[in-house]
Amino acid sequence: MSTGTIMAEGLTKVFRIPARRPGFGGALKDLVKPVLVPKVAVDDINLRVEVGELLALLGPNGAGKSTTIKMLCGILTPTSGRVEVNGIVPHADRTANARQIGAVFGQRSQLWRDLTARQSLEVLRDMYGLRDSDYRERMKEINRILELEEFWDQRSRQLSLGQRVRCDLAAALLHDPPVVFLDEPTIGMDVVVKEQVREFLRDQVNRRGRTVLLTTHDMTEVARLAERVALIDHGQLVYDGATAGLRDLAGVTWEAHVTVETVPVAIDVPGLALTGSDGTRLTFAPLPAAQGAGAVLTPRHAIRRLIEYLPVTDIQVEEPDLEDVVRQAFRTGR
Amino acid sequence: MTAHFSPRLVLPPWRAMRITVIAELTQPSRYVPQLTMLVTQLALTWWLWRALYAKVTESAGLNVSQATSYALLGVLFLQFKSVDRSSNGDAMDQLMLDGTIAYWFTRPLPARRWYLIRMCGDLGYGGAWALLGYVVCRAIGAIAGPPTWAAGGAALATLALGLVITYYLQAIVDLMCFWSTINDSAVMAVQLASSLLSGAFAPLWFFPGWFQRADGFLPFESTLNTPLSLYVGRLPVSALGTQLAIQAAWCAALAVFTWWLWRRACARVTILGG
Amino acid sequence: MRITVATAVHWTRGFLQGWRVALRISGANFRARAAYRGDFVTALAMGLAWQASVLVFVTVLLTRFPGLGGWTSGGVLLIVAIRLLAHGANVMVFHPLYLVPKLMQQGALDGYLIRPMPVYRQILLYTFPLSGVGDALSAVLLFAFALTRVHLHWTPLMALYLIAAVIGGMFLEGAVQTAVSIIAFWRTMPLAVFMWFDRMIATFGNYPFSIFPLAARVVLTGVLPIAFIAYLPAAVLTGRAASTGVPVWLAYASPAVGPLLYILARYAWYRALTRYESVGG
Repeated sequence: MSTGTIMAEGLTKVFRIPARRPGFGGALKDLVKPVLVPKVAVDDINLRVEVGELLALLGPNGAGKSTTIKMLCGILTPTSGRVEVNGIVPHADRTANARQIGAVFGQRSQLWRDLTARQSLEVLRDMYGLRDSDYRERMKEINRILELEEFWDQRSRQLSLGQRVRCDLAAALLHDPPVVFLDEPTIGMDVVVKEQVREFLRDQVNRRGRTVLLTTHDMTEVARLAERVALIDHGQLVYDGATAGLRDLAGVTWEAHVTVETVPVAIDVPGLALTGSDGTRLTFAPLPAAQGAGAVLTPRHAIRRLIEYLPVTDIQVEEPDLEDVVRQAFRTGR
Repeated sequence: MTAHFSPRLVLPPWRAMRITVIAELTQPSRYVPQLTMLVTQLALTWWLWRALYAKVTESAGLNVSQATSYALLGVLFLQFKSVDRSSNGDAMDQLMLDGTIAYWFTRPLPARRWYLIRMCGDLGYGGAWALLGYVVCRAIGAIAGPPTWAAGGAALATLALGLVITYYLQAIVDLMCFWSTINDSAVMAVQLASSLLSGAFAPLWFFPGWFQRADGFLPFESTLNTPLSLYVGRLPVSALGTQLAIQAAWCAALAVFTWWLWRRACARVTILGG
Repeated sequence: MRITVATAVHWTRGFLQGWRVALRISGANFRARAAYRGDFVTALAMGLAWQASVLVFVTVLLTRFPGLGGWTSGGVLLIVAIRLLAHGANVMVFHPLYLVPKLMQQGALDGYLIRPMPVYRQILLYTFPLSGVGDALSAVLLFAFALTRVHLHWTPLMALYLIAAVIGGMFLEGAVQTAVSIIAFWRTMPLAVFMWFDRMIATFGNYPFSIFPLAARVVLTGVLPIAFIAYLPAAVLTGRAASTGVPVWLAYASPAVGPLLYILARYAWYRALTRYESVGG
């Protein structure tokens, strides 16, 4: 498979929106002489995704994630800045770029409503000019993981959301592209199907070495899928690095909830700080690296230590809610 | 770069024309109303024109057989544009509104070519209905044959060019969606204009002189009035040369304009949602 | 059952409140359409242009084909005028019914079901019918023109009958549109079906039906009840009620056919909606 790197430099997109003046007089004025107001959707974003990497683009609604990904796909032309996918400028040479990318835009399906899913995929086969043998092979492989044959002879109008997105994933990967863009692909899905899709994506990235850029709201998705995450807020890149590092940035950590037989008089567990107590239920958090001895404790080591030092009857580790992490990150990022 | 010209990449996408056929023929709720409406309209049109000509032998240069044939063929012509994509969620303004148009730009097919393929599917399907109606009406004698083989051939030639012009006009209206998705009125305006000003509503020959002259400046007349007038013999075959020239001029002008619009549209893609 | 004054006042207040809300929503809709200036201008212009062209054709037809079934050209113009007035009124009120297929597809109907306003009314208030303004304007103009050509001695009773005919025609078209939109509940209905009825009435509703053979008249009175919109009322007004081919009492009662059919259609719509609700869409 050919290489697939995504590169964006100084990416900016400014929309000109007609202003709405209030009142009836304003409405008439807008009719006769409208005023255009510039709105900066994406402001000077620098991004680089290497071959075989999965980058999650995180951000609140209206942050500019979808606009960014559309510029990377070549659908929107940036107002300024440079974009290159695998050496090709997407908006300049859409046809060539189309052969090397696959895209799924959540909530918008590529499938034709009155055709069966399989017929839709056949139309796409014709569009990409795939040989029948290649097509059959690809379908076999995709079907193995996504299990499409249960419903691919139903009209796409009748498919559930999960089934439809699985078909859209198949459609995006039919021509074996090295780069895949996913704009909120699992939005609105149930947990089982979400996990199925994530399995599929992990397989595509790890085994097949595809480059994947994913936008999402879903914190669990980021936690489970991406080692690297980029945070976008108000069109600007607030954070770009390891997912684990995001927690460090936000200063939010995991917590261990311990239930003890009897509460000891003095509680002193090295590397951990007591952050709360409720009768026999105690809450511990790891001490930051600077204060404690050596590096921050991992949950596994903390559990061992807690059991060593306290009469533990029940122990529970709570990973920080990425929601809180992100919220905190936005606050510190500003 | 040679990949662009290999037959495997140019021809197969045209198979997508069958999307329209599959969508329309697999749902009785689509073709049953279409058949009913067509039969009713043909019958009523026949009765109307026969009734109008009850006391008159000729008017505006058309006798009863010519006027009736013209009017019925006009109804059949409307079948070309009978495919309604909005109920499939496939209409241009819907694609723009829900953002599905984004996929048109991530496929290895220029958006323009994809649009052409789909329109050919639609026109082909509608044309099959028109042809079926024509054969049946000829069989029962409702529509008369052309006066000469030459007239028939001339009508076919001008019809072909007329369909090309129809395609460009529809493309222009659809391209307006890239600038504003609120274009229902423009769509209806062109639909009504094309049915009235082309002669599908009623033979243009009956309209006052000033109306016909004004209509001559617009492309609609050459889409239908020209072929039908040649068919019924209202225009002599000798007029074919001039008519073809007019049509060719419109084709060229509209083609250039449409090409320019596509370029502007592709640069201007704005999809809702951030 | 005794209806107390309090109940009557309560009902009247509710009724007036309903109208106030409807008018306010219409105002908002108007502003919303005015915000899209291209469409606003086009919609207005289109309504006017289309009606104007139909008028042109009909007047031309009258000069070329004189003596349509014994009707004078003034009489035919009266038919057209009544039809256009009824149509204009219809578009101003019932036009959004055309959008039911679109609303169904968007799933907007589910949202309407949980609002404290009848769903039907919400559909009618969905958008401001700009093209109706153009239709209504041209209808008034043509009616004025027709008045000069049809030499009738107008009495107050005839004027009232005319108004009744226009309102009746409005409801008749509304009944057809309501009935068609019921089908949209169950099937994917193309917009073309609505437009087709509209076009049929516009194309064939202009002529005195006495020129048609029996089969055509049956279709135009029984199947597509176009006759009751304009032809029969015009026949009554011009004193031709006896020669219409339908019983004289029916000709006189033609303005009532519309509202009757409308009540039936509206009830059927209500039943279809309740069934839609219970199935869950």
